[in-house]
Amino acid sequence: MGSIDSLYDKIKRHVVAYFTGNGYTDASTGYSAGELQAVVFIMVLAAMFRIFMIPLGIVVILVAAIMVLHFAPVIRVIERENSSDLNRVLFWVFVYFSVIVAVTLWGR
Amino acid sequence: MIELTLQTLSFLAAALLVIIGMAGMLYLDNLIKKLIAFTLLSDGVNLALVSLGYVQGGIVPILEPGASLSDFPNEAALIFGPGIVLTNIVIGVSTTAILAALIVILYKRYGTLKASKVLKGEHE
Amino acid sequence: MNETITNLWSIPLLIVIPILTAIVVNLLYNRGRAIRAVSIASAAVLLVISLVSPYGFQWFTGQPGVTYDGTYTFNANVFSWKLSLEYYYGPLQQIMISVMSFLLLFVVAISTKSLKKNFGPYIALMFLTYLSAAAIMMVNDFYHLWIAVEIGSLLVAGLVAASGGGAAQKAALKYTFFSALSGSGLAIALALILGITGYANITDAINSVRINDLSGMYNVLYVSFAFLMLSWIYAGGLAPIHPLKSDVYRSAYPHATVMLQTQSKLTLVAIGLVLLRMFGTLPFAREAMLSISILTMVIGIVMALIQTDFRWILAYLIVSHSGLVTVGISLGTFRGIVGGLFQAVNDVIYMSLLLVCCEMVLYFGRGTSIKFSGGLAKRAPLLTVFVILGTLAASGVPPFNGFQSELILIQAALEQGLPEVAAVILMVSVSTFIALFRAIYSIFLRPGDELQQGSERFKLPGTTLMFLVALVAITLVLGIYPQLALNFLTESALKVVFVPWVP
Repeated sequence: MGSIDSLYDKIKRHVVAYFTGNGYTDASTGYSAGELQAVVFIMVLAAMFRIFMIPLGIVVILVAAIMVLHFAPVIRVIERENSSDLNRVLFWVFVYFSVIVAVTLWGR
Repeated sequence: MIELTLQTLSFLAAALLVIIGMAGMLYLDNLIKKLIAFTLLSDGVNLALVSLGYVQGGIVPILEPGASLSDFPNEAALIFGPGIVLTNIVIGVSTTAILAALIVILYKRYGTLKASKVLKGEHE
Repeated sequence: MNETITNLWSIPLLIVIPILTAIVVNLLYNRGRAIRAVSIASAAVLLVISLVSPYGFQWFTGQPGVTYDGTYTFNANVFSWKLSLEYYYGPLQQIMISVMSFLLLFVVAISTKSLKKNFGPYIALMFLTYLSAAAIMMVNDFYHLWIAVEIGSLLVAGLVAASGGGAAQKAALKYTFFSALSGSGLAIALALILGITGYANITDAINSVRINDLSGMYNVLYVSFAFLMLSWIYAGGLAPIHPLKSDVYRSAYPHATVMLQTQSKLTLVAIGLVLLRMFGTLPFAREAMLSISILTMVIGIVMALIQTDFRWILAYLIVSHSGLVTVGISLGTFRGIVGGLFQAVNDVIYMSLLLVCCEMVLYFGRGTSIKFSGGLAKRAPLLTVFVILGTLAASGVPPFNGFQSELILIQAALEQGLPEVAAVILMVSVSTFIALFRAIYSIFLRPGDELQQGSERFKLPGTTLMFLVALVAITLVLGIYPQLALNFLTESALKVVFVPWVP
């Protein structure tokens, strides 16, 4: 299935389900709102790279758009990575730590 | 090439302990083993802190009567490392106690020590 | 400058009274009324001390600063080496600790009323949590900072585990495993900073970094920055530790969460200011802090939107609003810091309002899940009004206090040429409203099954009603007259920006 369809499909399914009541739960409104918010947040934050260079900002926005469409229900990805599983959090801590050290050392 | 002094060796040992501890906390599934891995990690940190203050051929950092004031700063071992280690040991003991207590409670509740069963994430 | 020239009397009292209370309530085994009396009295004393105390220092060596020519000085604005472990009580500390004491007073009053079993140790943990947060707020040396953070994280685990339930114990265990990691990291950071500068006192360490030539040692400084940042992230519950922290918030009793979130906001402010004063001039240090703050805000609010339980929504909102506090601090400008500090004060107040409302929903025997509830508005109209007022304050609607601090934060972001950050702050406040109103609609406003559960009105307990009224009054007063709080915060923000070596 094409990646553009999946985001559209996802939202349409929610909207249709909302009005027909078919398969609608209280959770799905939250998921659709969260999905839209997450996409907007990602695009806005991608735009921040204009601070370094305007062409870089444009490229990052395009890349972000493609990535968002590829991972279509972004909220699912965020939810999965948000698990409070001990090892997963430990993994993210290690990633953060190395990024902080690398970026600050590089910045010097 | 880094010279293999006592301090370097001791740093290497500390790094090894920290790596073993971290790997244990990440990969071992048994909660008690995770706890043991944590104590290894904490020992590694303590060893690193003690090694920081090492001075080759140094003296105990207590200024005795008659000692030369000019040589003292160069010869005395640094005192803050062991100072921090003392506190770190106390903190380590209390953390271990709390961890052990929680593990016992969870074992009574779930009947298993497997982290993959007891500590599963909420969204999985 | 009205700082006292001797060791300040109030600082040891703020530390010792909670410890003594903790010991006494532990000894009063199974005497509920005595525990209640002792704990309320001691919380009231703490509130009075924090309100009337003058500003000043507590030096553990008993000596004030040493100037270049070897004489002593008591003036904080004169350059001197402090050489000692010290606590400082200033306007910032006064407002933060006063607010926390006020919350402690009511939290203790509510919990001693609502808990049935022997609750002495639980109240003791509450007082010790207060102690750790007060200590973190007042310290001006790395050694005490480290110990206070360690004690604080162990107490969080204790308080959560005491709330009972398998989920609470699991959350506590996971949180303690991380406390082991971040504590070791903080110890290494402390050792590295001591190694570079030779001073445990933060003021002296900053002086030393600025005066001495550190070329060749910058790598060490960066590693210590990273370790200190790790403990900041951990103690404040920023991303990526936020899943553990939100677990902690939602599995404790809501009234305990009031203290837990206050403690973590105060920790965020205190360690954030230390990071800014010590490392703020290093390239990319503030940028690293800013990106983590933005990430926390975004992930927190998105996760709050998809939750289906009022307690979970509140837990993720607390995480997300921690990001608002740290965004202000990591912008590093005067306006940004004032906004961040003010946001911390406001946040603690309106989140407490919402948490107490959540506690009342549970108290009335209703579930907090938004799937199987409804119709509470008819049976508890007053509670509905309070929870809606809390929602409005949290989403930054004027004339409530959230509006004022978020306005300052947005102005600060725009001043720095970062409209994207301003947009994110705006979206966070809008999404806060959406997330909270989903829950409020489902639990309160949606027609419920009254026939099944009876139709008599629920009555709010007296203490809780007083607490809720007081909290709403504070949100309104701070929203209409923000200078009341800002007067306390501007001096500290000015010091951080212009004279970072003064606490």
